[in-house]
Amino acid sequence: MAVNPKKLRPYDEPPKVRRPLVPDTPDSAATAFLVVSLLWLAAATGIGVLWVATLLFPGQVALTLALELPIIGTMGIDVSRPTVEAGFMNALVFGWLSNAAFAAICFVTPRLTGERLRDDRMGFGAMGLWNVGVAAGLAGVYLPIIAGSGPLAEFPLPAKGLMLLGAVTVLGAMGRTLMAGERRLPYVSILFFALGLLALLGLLTISAAAQFFALDGTPMALVNAFVARGIVTYWILGAALGSLFYVVPRASANPLASAGMALLAWLLWAAFAGLSAVGALVDPSVPFVITTIGSVGTILLVAPVFLAVATLALTIHGRWSLTLGTGTLAFALVAMAFLLGTALLEAIGALRSVQGLIRDTEWEMGVWLLGLLGSATFAFFALLDHAAPRVLRRDWGGSIAVDAQLWGSLIGVVLAGFALIGAGIAHGALRAEGAAAEEVQATLSWFLLVAGAGLGLVALGGLAALVALFVMYTTARRAEYVPAADAPAGEVPAGAQTAH
Amino acid sequence: MTVHTPIETGSRGIPGWALGLTVFVLLVGGVYFAGNLTGENPPIVAPPSPSGSGAPVLNAVAIIDEAACQSCHGPDLAGSGAFPSLHDIENGPVSENLQAFAEEHPDDWAEIWIAGIDPAVSDPGMRGGMPAFAAPPYELTAEEIAAVVEYLKSLP
Repeated sequence: MAVNPKKLRPYDEPPKVRRPLVPDTPDSAATAFLVVSLLWLAAATGIGVLWVATLLFPGQVALTLALELPIIGTMGIDVSRPTVEAGFMNALVFGWLSNAAFAAICFVTPRLTGERLRDDRMGFGAMGLWNVGVAAGLAGVYLPIIAGSGPLAEFPLPAKGLMLLGAVTVLGAMGRTLMAGERRLPYVSILFFALGLLALLGLLTISAAAQFFALDGTPMALVNAFVARGIVTYWILGAALGSLFYVVPRASANPLASAGMALLAWLLWAAFAGLSAVGALVDPSVPFVITTIGSVGTILLVAPVFLAVATLALTIHGRWSLTLGTGTLAFALVAMAFLLGTALLEAIGALRSVQGLIRDTEWEMGVWLLGLLGSATFAFFALLDHAAPRVLRRDWGGSIAVDAQLWGSLIGVVLAGFALIGAGIAHGALRAEGAAAEEVQATLSWFLLVAGAGLGLVALGGLAALVALFVMYTTARRAEYVPAADAPAGEVPAGAQTAH
Repeated sequence: MTVHTPIETGSRGIPGWALGLTVFVLLVGGVYFAGNLTGENPPIVAPPSPSGSGAPVLNAVAIIDEAACQSCHGPDLAGSGAFPSLHDIENGPVSENLQAFAEEHPDDWAEIWIAGIDPAVSDPGMRGGMPAFAAPPYELTAEEIAAVVEYLKSLP
């Protein structure tokens, strides 16, 4: 039918604004990483609940299929305790925490250098590469024919390749932004991010190389143990500390208490995080003294963590009332408490006498959860609370969803972490007494029930974080300049020149 | 546009108590290190513990070690990552996806699975089943596969 263009109404016209597939607006990369990270948090904790169910009902919560496919042949799909556990850990570390760490890098680097991220398209592309790799890797975990083996090493090789490309791209964007900024010693957050990211690249490369060359059983197990520990101590812990060193001075509107203490914390962390990874090399083929040096590294990690937490606590000095509500500083304070607690528990677990009791028990997973879902998650929650209104340009004073995020996650992590630690101690003690398997399972089931409930609460906390982000984006007033963190929402009108 | 300001620092020095605490923690680490110089690490990949002994079993352990079965099926062959446990298979496979196959071949399902489920296919890697065992460089003989199966069935 012919249309007379003069009779077209405005609503008949197609929209003229075309959004590019890869956005290049300021903070688009940080925004993308933030949003995707929260989706991963909900997914990871959901898988975590399923993992506890596989522990509670061994052999009952499982699904194995064999598909006959053309060309490929028989393709097995295995959803059972080992694969669900692998999916949980990988989704947590590479999905939620790594995306949040990348978001922190993309958000913080421009704000400390005074330069735009160079450039946001690179960062956005990195987000795509990384997450396609993680999603593909997570699917591969459940396909025995292509899955790797070992903690945080189960992803198939092509998935690791995509992730490496994504991480290299973020490093490139970060490096170019730093080069464009001032030529002086960067703020300590940048130092934490840079070394953590470099370590992640190195460790992922080692893991991929070991998989490519198909190392034998023991060497492969040693490499995987080293890589998994290194990813946690360098990448996750480093990014969490870097985020806290940024958000605490910003949110408290105080200067960093001591640059010297912060730098000393960074130096000690840089040294002992690597040593701690060496401590994972536990095998007769590794000289005993080398493993001991690694254990000492884990014990000594208490020092940089304490120095970092002390510096941050001194920075909050005079603004403690801000930690009583729900907001950036409350999240940061919880993260600091978990950081200290986890460092001490890991140091205790590194002692030889304790290792004999807790080896191959639930203790290890409990401490991991306190570190990953406690310290790192709350550090990134603090960053999210600080960054989200700024990257989305919203005047935001919080909502009940943020309360649910804080309390749900806090109670959940405490329950899950300490229930698993308790299960580990009980397991070790019963094993030493030579208890029957049925008795061990019956005892552990109570601890596992609590852990499952805890992980469920964390999952609800993650969902609450997503809801809070959605509510902020859809209901809060648009603000070109967002209010400073120290000013109650509403007192500073939209347009005030205070944002960082 | 967003305003960026550097983060100010209150002091550049390191308080004495922080230095003292660092030295104290280093000393604790040093004392622990000095007290733990000798000892024996446990194996990261625990060797399988057969319920019986004898030449066929020892041979099977060597074959399994050489083929690095533990890298997929776990240090004690009790399952790892996506790979199922190889214990308790005397009365049939643990994996549900093998149940129907085992009903069709109740006596030799394990041998057929390791060798590849379709021997008519010339490329062992394309046969399905356990191509890692049937393909180069392992290319297990029927006797070797039989020894491995006998050993696996002995695992509780």
